[in-house]
Amino acid sequence: MFGRTKPLWDTGPELKSGYDAVIIGGGLHGLATAYFLASRYGMRDVAVIEKRHIGFGGAGRNTAIVRANQRTQENVPLYKEALDLWPVLTRELDFNLMFNNCGNLNLLHSEAAVNAARMNIATAQFLGVESHLIDARQAKEMMPALNISEDITYPIMGAMYHPPGGIVRHDAVVWGLAKGAAALGVHIHQHTEAAAIESRHGKVTAVATSRGKILTPRVLVSAGGYSAAVIHRMLGLRLPISVLTIQAMVTQPLKPLLDHVISSGAYHVYANQTLKGEIATGAHMDPWPNYTTQNTAYYVKHQAEALVEILPCLAGVRFMRTWAGLADMTPDMAPIMDGNHPLEGFYMDCGWGYFGFKSCSAVGKYMAQYMAEGRCPEILKPFALERYEQHRLMGETAALVSYSPDN
Amino acid sequence: MALMITCPVCGPRNGYEFRYGGEDKGPRPAQRELSPGDWFQYVHANDCADGIQKEWWVHRDGCGVWFTTYRDTTVNREVPPPEEDA
Amino acid sequence: MNRLRALPTFRIDPARRVAFRYRNRSLHGVAGDTVATALYANGVRIFGRSLKYHRPRGLYSLDGECSNTCMQVDGIPNVRTENTPLREGMQIKEQNVVGSAAFDLMAFMDKLDRLMPAGFYYRSLHKPARLWPVAMRQVRRAAGLGKISPDFRYGGRCDEVYLNAEVCVVGGGAAGMSAALSAAESGLRVILLEARPWLGGCFDYRPGPSQDGEPLYRRSRELLRSVSEHPGIRVFTHSPVVGHYTDNLVTAFQTGEPGDAFDYRYIEIRSRTVVVATGCIERPLLFEHNERPGVMQVGCAQRLARTYGLLPGERAVFSVGHDLGLEAAVDLSDLGLEIACVADLRQDGHDEHLVTQLAERGIEVLRGWVAARAHGARAVRAVTLATLDGTVQKRLDCDLLAASAGLTPVVGPLTLAGAQMDYDAHTGAFLPSELPPGLFTAGRLLGLHDAESIETSGRLAGLQAAAHCGAVDAAAVVELQAQAAALPGPQRGSKLVTAPVKGRKSFVCFDEDTTVKNVRQSIARGFDIPELIKRFSSAGTGPGQGGIPGHNLPLLTAHLQGKPPSSFVSTTIRAPLVPVPVAAYAGSRHDMCKRTPVHDSQKAAGGVFRRMGVWRRARYFSDDFSCREEVRNVRENVGLLDASTLGKFRLHGPDALKALQRIYIGDMSKMTAGKIKYAAMCNDDGCVIDDGVVVKRGENDYYFTTSTARAGATIEWFRYHTRYDGWEFHLVNLTDAFGVINLAGPNARKVLEKVADADVSNEAFPFAAYREFTAGGGAIAVRAMRLGFVGELSFELHVPSSLMQALWGLLEEAGKPFGIRNFGVEAQNVLRMEKGHIILGQESEQRTNLLDLGLGFLWARDKGECKTVGEAALRHAENDPGRLKLVGIRMQDPQRAPKDGALIVDRRIRGYVCTARHSFTLEQAVGLALVEEPLAGIGTRLDIYEDECRGELLKAEVVAVPFYDPDGKRMRM
Repeated sequence: MFGRTKPLWDTGPELKSGYDAVIIGGGLHGLATAYFLASRYGMRDVAVIEKRHIGFGGAGRNTAIVRANQRTQENVPLYKEALDLWPVLTRELDFNLMFNNCGNLNLLHSEAAVNAARMNIATAQFLGVESHLIDARQAKEMMPALNISEDITYPIMGAMYHPPGGIVRHDAVVWGLAKGAAALGVHIHQHTEAAAIESRHGKVTAVATSRGKILTPRVLVSAGGYSAAVIHRMLGLRLPISVLTIQAMVTQPLKPLLDHVISSGAYHVYANQTLKGEIATGAHMDPWPNYTTQNTAYYVKHQAEALVEILPCLAGVRFMRTWAGLADMTPDMAPIMDGNHPLEGFYMDCGWGYFGFKSCSAVGKYMAQYMAEGRCPEILKPFALERYEQHRLMGETAALVSYSPDN
Repeated sequence: MALMITCPVCGPRNGYEFRYGGEDKGPRPAQRELSPGDWFQYVHANDCADGIQKEWWVHRDGCGVWFTTYRDTTVNREVPPPEEDA
Repeated sequence: MNRLRALPTFRIDPARRVAFRYRNRSLHGVAGDTVATALYANGVRIFGRSLKYHRPRGLYSLDGECSNTCMQVDGIPNVRTENTPLREGMQIKEQNVVGSAAFDLMAFMDKLDRLMPAGFYYRSLHKPARLWPVAMRQVRRAAGLGKISPDFRYGGRCDEVYLNAEVCVVGGGAAGMSAALSAAESGLRVILLEARPWLGGCFDYRPGPSQDGEPLYRRSRELLRSVSEHPGIRVFTHSPVVGHYTDNLVTAFQTGEPGDAFDYRYIEIRSRTVVVATGCIERPLLFEHNERPGVMQVGCAQRLARTYGLLPGERAVFSVGHDLGLEAAVDLSDLGLEIACVADLRQDGHDEHLVTQLAERGIEVLRGWVAARAHGARAVRAVTLATLDGTVQKRLDCDLLAASAGLTPVVGPLTLAGAQMDYDAHTGAFLPSELPPGLFTAGRLLGLHDAESIETSGRLAGLQAAAHCGAVDAAAVVELQAQAAALPGPQRGSKLVTAPVKGRKSFVCFDEDTTVKNVRQSIARGFDIPELIKRFSSAGTGPGQGGIPGHNLPLLTAHLQGKPPSSFVSTTIRAPLVPVPVAAYAGSRHDMCKRTPVHDSQKAAGGVFRRMGVWRRARYFSDDFSCREEVRNVRENVGLLDASTLGKFRLHGPDALKALQRIYIGDMSKMTAGKIKYAAMCNDDGCVIDDGVVVKRGENDYYFTTSTARAGATIEWFRYHTRYDGWEFHLVNLTDAFGVINLAGPNARKVLEKVADADVSNEAFPFAAYREFTAGGGAIAVRAMRLGFVGELSFELHVPSSLMQALWGLLEEAGKPFGIRNFGVEAQNVLRMEKGHIILGQESEQRTNLLDLGLGFLWARDKGECKTVGEAALRHAENDPGRLKLVGIRMQDPQRAPKDGALIVDRRIRGYVCTARHSFTLEQAVGLALVEEPLAGIGTRLDIYEDECRGELLKAEVVAVPFYDPDGKRMRM
């Protein structure tokens, strides 16, 4: 009926009774891990099971911003590798991930913010990642739409300029990884819900799903915002996570206006222009846990108030669409990647908050290594769950925990 | 999403007047003999229920009272307490 | 173009001309015109070019359901000209054209569709890798519709209102007005929102008969009179609803009329109940070139004539699927339009009265026929009609093709509110199967067509809403329900998905140039549900926000896969329902900020202010941001600092001490009157969350300070950590009630002596003491503390805010002989750093607890089980050798302090510099740094890595703190 056009990946493989590995969650991290298991470790007998369709969750709702200017030396190398992998994956998957390497400008609005940024910049430079402190005038030259006058709530004093960052087309990554993984033999089972993880003598033996039981010695939960609930329900393991709804929106499409990603902590805003010309902007989270992925009236208004201060020309542009996704926040704004605890063969990759997209390529690579070898790769060791009990929060944010991870 | 929360003092009000204060984990444990594991469970670990949970709120922009209520996290609406708790 | 002779349905005043500019020409419209109708009246048929193929586009819906008529108006891009009232002097420009809309040099793109199948971007332009950055620039330039200058500034006025109501009615047609009236008659507060500039909906322009035989437009004006006369109904016209959130929070924005005090007004309504009566839009007919200028929806053609007096063409063909189409044909024929033929895709179910009327006018009705192709390169010149199976065709010349497959209920507000949608086999529409509490529906939305049914359903919904609010009893609702049930119910809808065509240019989505073929390609690629097709083919992601493809896409997706139409639902509808100017959301923008009582005095003294949290504070008092003079003056003489932003609290009541013991890490039970206790609060991680001083003013009566940043959270914090205990204590925030002056420097006492009414000698008022006295001859009550944050003799004077300016003035006057001067926050920062005093958040962070900061002396381990916050964590972590520790550093080069944020490194990062300055006092470069414990020993040599240092490290050494006056003699003077 459709001639020579073939599906990008096999959308209806037969569900086998057993796999070498089962991955719960057909988002970016799950698909990337499956792809690297198959491509780097020869483990092709892998099933990715997804409750809805692949890319339904955070994979299709994120900011699409990529960068490697984090705060700590434990995090930066991981994100740097993730950046380096975009061109590699584009080639390997033969799929245009549309990496727009436009660089990121993080606006600074106070002396304290400048000093804090300087630490991030020094950390980046020390670890071989390009990042510079620039003043307000330089920022204005790079982005003429910026308002650097004194008469706004938080005048711009400078910016952290991070040239290696940019935007990647998030849907393309989902589809490209699915295509690549499936071509190597990975089975992607959509509309299949995981119900339980079964074990014997402390070892994973099977995953029960809405379509029957799958025998497997190893299972990864990489269900994005749903991970904490899934892990608690299946294993009784409680995580230091709060699941919040994070919102974003786009304006109507415009001819090129913003040539870089900008973000501002004080205004709680990021903005960038998609290849289609829309200004994508967002950042707000309602500070109470929920799984609704609903937007709020409060937020779109806040966003408009902030934008017309730093990018006043946008007052003449229209918002067209808002949406929301889940962010599973940890107290230290760093993820939890762990394995063989509390069951041998059980792996988890969660707590990414709003960093899941930026990291997916590198994390897929290392979680695949972890699962294939059964030993934690050096680079993932700092992200173990036990750090919380040991009072070693990672410091990806300097902010102190108040009542719970969400505030 | 435009949550309404019922303050025991002020009645149903806009959710943005309140601040969420975490899942209800019971009274504060004694600190002297608290093990790192129990400390972690009390301070940082959450159930992350996708359903109804009992939780703390403070009426920050109102009377200032801390109180518990029940909310269904899948629809983000306050709900009556479950039977056994009522 | 001549307007029609005046009709009673006109919303224009043909006598009042309005001048505007279009493509550097001066044109005229008339009062009441939209930008689009004014252009149409001036002969403009091609309004712009489409996104991808640069196809000519024209008037289609007259309601802005697609981007066809988006233009640049007064420098603002993507303005929906169909919804924008024409104003004198407007400047109108076309978008996305090279040349003009009529002759676009990019029109060749239309031939390239074979090169651009659905999702082609993903499969091309990335090989070789160096091609992509070049190609991407071209893609960016080609994409986007309108253009905005980075220097554009919006000059309009924006307002915002927040309202409460019992009943909010969305949609001001006959059903909505009826709902508003019946709810208001029950004594409730009603708000009625209508997107168009007037009430009336589809009754407003239709001459067809209402239940009592009079024309619908007259009936609608009668309803309008009742609505405007009812005091309980507040009407907002030209106010499309854009958001509908949980618990019936409705948002809308209003466009101002001439004479209004605003250009846009953001409206937010919290309502007990909402009645949605948004009616229908038309479901586009899918056929070849179905968006050629000259193809328009039935309502568009009829409203052009009836509302704006513009005959939409000269010779028309109709291809419709509902009685509204037949009715419009009769009406337009009577108004002078030649109608070649009416093709109705239904075989039966017509309103036979309308068929007769058409026959009387000599207009042929072809049952079971549909438009298959529009001809004409830039405008319709002819149309090919075909039978539904495509076997018989005929071609007719025409310049107008009124095309409409059926009706689409406008369910946006319902889906946003969380209503479940399902395919309804009778109407062929996606209708709510379940509604959230307090939400009701009425009118054409439900598939109703009969005028009386529509009004009755409105009255019923209004009554149901009133019953929900308890204003009427259920019996009244039941009675009206019975009446409604006796009237004609929902009309059967047409089920045709697409005309019988094989061509490549049948558009499902106009904005994104998504064709039926693209949808087929997407399905073949494995994107087989509407939500994925939307992502892969972009259908429905343009400025029309899904209005055009919303209904057709799920039907087509099912049709192409041979599945029943109930297989899928529409893609998720998202707020805002119509595009909203960012300026309208931003509203009136209040910048709220607190000033201290001596703000103006400091300003007069040359203060450079910075926003710090909720306050504006003076950071510097000269252009020299190193603050050399300010610092010197405090060290050698005397300075004044405004510290009013400090948090100040009174804690009293029987359980006050218990609360203190819970919150503060120290032992608060051993305080004595007249003496200050420096104390810290930790969080459960053992991190210092706040520090300040506590004074005992009486039994179970305390006065304490917090940092500026924590002032707002302190009461909440106390109450949170005692929430299970039921203790009785009262906590009063006095932050705004008291101002604070820090008088510091070796001459501080000499100044204070002249002002205070008490003995302030070192004997009477020693270091760390607390005193209450008056100043200025008994006029000003002062709470005074001897503190040493800056390391000099200093007095912290707390005074009622209203008297602070007076005391400030007295001190300035008294200090004049010594040369007293202000110092700001940055000078204080240098002074306290020299003294080794920390500022939380600057020398502390998430990874450092109380012990790491060297503040272990504040922790009372022996105060008994008070469940003190942070105690457990401190105990667990106190012997962990892997933590960061706060140390003092001295630079090898006394002139070269590292910048704040520089790193301490060896092969790894081992810590960082929190604050470092060249100290004018010490003639050294010193600072405070957080380093890993093995590097924290005094004498350890450190390498410091600064940003942009290119590998050249600075050398430092760990030294003891404080750097200045280590014995603390100066603050005890």
